[in-house]
Amino acid sequence: MKRSLPATLLLGLSGLFLLLLIGMPFWWVVTGSFKLPQEIIARVPTMVPHSFTLQHFAKLLSGSDYPVYMINSLLVAGISTAITLVLSVPAAYAFFRLAFPGREALYRIILLAYAFPSIVVLIPLFGMFARIGLIDTLAALVIINVTFALPFSIWMLRSFFASVPKEIEEAALMDGAPPTVILRRIMIPLIAPGIASVGIFAFISAWTEYVFASVLILSDAKRTVPVGFSGIIGQYQIDWGLLLSGASLAVLPVVILFALVGRWFVSGLTEGAVK
Amino acid sequence: MAELSIRGVRKSFGETEVIRNVDLSVGNGEFVVFVGPSGCGKSTLLRMIAGLENVTSGTISIDGADVTHADPSKRGIAMVFQTYALYPHMTVEENMGFGLEMAGIPADERKRMVRRAAETLHLETYLARKPKQLSGGQRQRVAIGRAIVRDPKIFLFDEPLSNLDAELRVRMRIEIAKLHADLGATMIYVTHDQVEAMTLASRIVVLRDGRIEQVGTPLELYNNPDNQFVAGFIGSPKMNFVPARVTGRTEDGAVKLAVDSLGLAEFAVMPRERNATMPETLSIGIRPEHFLPPGTDGAMDVSLGLGAVEHLGGVSYIYTEPGRDGSLTAEVRGLPGLKAGGLLPLAVNPDTCLLFSTEGARL
Repeated sequence: MKRSLPATLLLGLSGLFLLLLIGMPFWWVVTGSFKLPQEIIARVPTMVPHSFTLQHFAKLLSGSDYPVYMINSLLVAGISTAITLVLSVPAAYAFFRLAFPGREALYRIILLAYAFPSIVVLIPLFGMFARIGLIDTLAALVIINVTFALPFSIWMLRSFFASVPKEIEEAALMDGAPPTVILRRIMIPLIAPGIASVGIFAFISAWTEYVFASVLILSDAKRTVPVGFSGIIGQYQIDWGLLLSGASLAVLPVVILFALVGRWFVSGLTEGAVK
Repeated sequence: MAELSIRGVRKSFGETEVIRNVDLSVGNGEFVVFVGPSGCGKSTLLRMIAGLENVTSGTISIDGADVTHADPSKRGIAMVFQTYALYPHMTVEENMGFGLEMAGIPADERKRMVRRAAETLHLETYLARKPKQLSGGQRQRVAIGRAIVRDPKIFLFDEPLSNLDAELRVRMRIEIAKLHADLGATMIYVTHDQVEAMTLASRIVVLRDGRIEQVGTPLELYNNPDNQFVAGFIGSPKMNFVPARVTGRTEDGAVKLAVDSLGLAEFAVMPRERNATMPETLSIGIRPEHFLPPGTDGAMDVSLGLGAVEHLGGVSYIYTEPGRDGSLTAEVRGLPGLKAGGLLPLAVNPDTCLLFSTEGARL
């Protein structure tokens, strides 16, 4: 396709604008975390750091509970993501493939999980968790995260299943594959981009979850990064260096996750199957 | 190789009946082609044989064993889909071997079987490729390979060539015919392309609205159709149907007709049953290719208006009133200079004409 010069220019400029909009805060935070304290609070901000120091990271990792929070967060987000995937893939396949009475109604009802603001369900949930002894456990956070990630994941994966041509499943059926094998060997590889998207969604929502983590966790040793970190940065004054280095480290797992699963986001996975 | 028998099979989707009481026997090693207009149920019937659609009532048996409710993989059949339906994330070898793997055949044995099938289809050099690295014809060959590697009793083909371009279609058609000759397997083939039907089939099954209209060899259907639908469906361009009045009978039983639109009188056509009683009005069927040069022995001269003329090189088609009901089509040869307008003298031999009642039954 050939584009006119103004159109190309417009596309380029909007791309640049978006890049700056998203990239600038990143740059600011990450470079700031390596600056000396005086430079961070300098009256004239510097885009390119003049100084370099690891003192904030050293302070963060050895002088605070940040590593503990990080491990807690990784545990909660990792386990939440794994459970979400293990449950949502077969559930979505069932909603897509099995015909049972009330399927469509049930399929819509699961979205009710999003009908209430989390703050509304927080108090009754606290009561329930207190009764079964889940207050101040990471398991409580995992349950919450999975509960809220599942409905959307199921919806999303069902549409990915629906995009797989019916004939491929029928061919597998003719080949004598039982449903579990069709799911594992044929369908899951074909909806890998969907699984990657759902995985990232589940991980990020668990990673950034604040409200439940701040209420259901009581002891400092069990806090996750969002809650624990907000306590580090200072009760009386803000330690900017600590804040910036902590924020830089907090985005690291998400960036690594994107890099790892990014290769699954390839288009045309079913190319060659039916055309 | 196997025999297939379909007895009183029906299929309904809710209120709508899509297959209405079909009976059919397919013999060992036969190549049976299902044809019919879209929505006639030909693909549904094939999918019922495959086990991909439930049967509402009736039985399907293969080699005498009732498989009406058996799993697709337990029927000893293989199916080639219109859209190939290859597993895109597997190599050609894995695609062809998947069914064998599911059947529990050990890996080295599987490899040998896949190689043998690949040789039959000239796919040896592509075994390590993924489907997206293949051309359309190669993909279809892999789909066929996936079927033959399992050595099924019956092959099912669901419009396997309709995604290919014209040239490739002819080549694959010949390959499928050769495959049938080599394997001697029973094959059932669905198509809407009557050239495929005529060239491949040992018998053709013509379906309409979920019913079998007629079963026969290609030439039987062409020469001796049971009704107007089959007569019109087999043959291209389509058979002409011209209203006529019965004016009497000859001594040997032929029906004397007046065909006003062609200016024919005392046109004596032999009915299928010599002694059958005739209605007062009926239609005669004349194939476009049965129009003859004027003055041919045994034929009666007619004049056709030249509404439109199409030259295809070897033959030309003339249409009397293109686009209108009752327009006639004639195929003529050796008239490359013919132009629209005026009249063209031709002739019709009554022996090549067929008679149909106004309800469409053959007389």
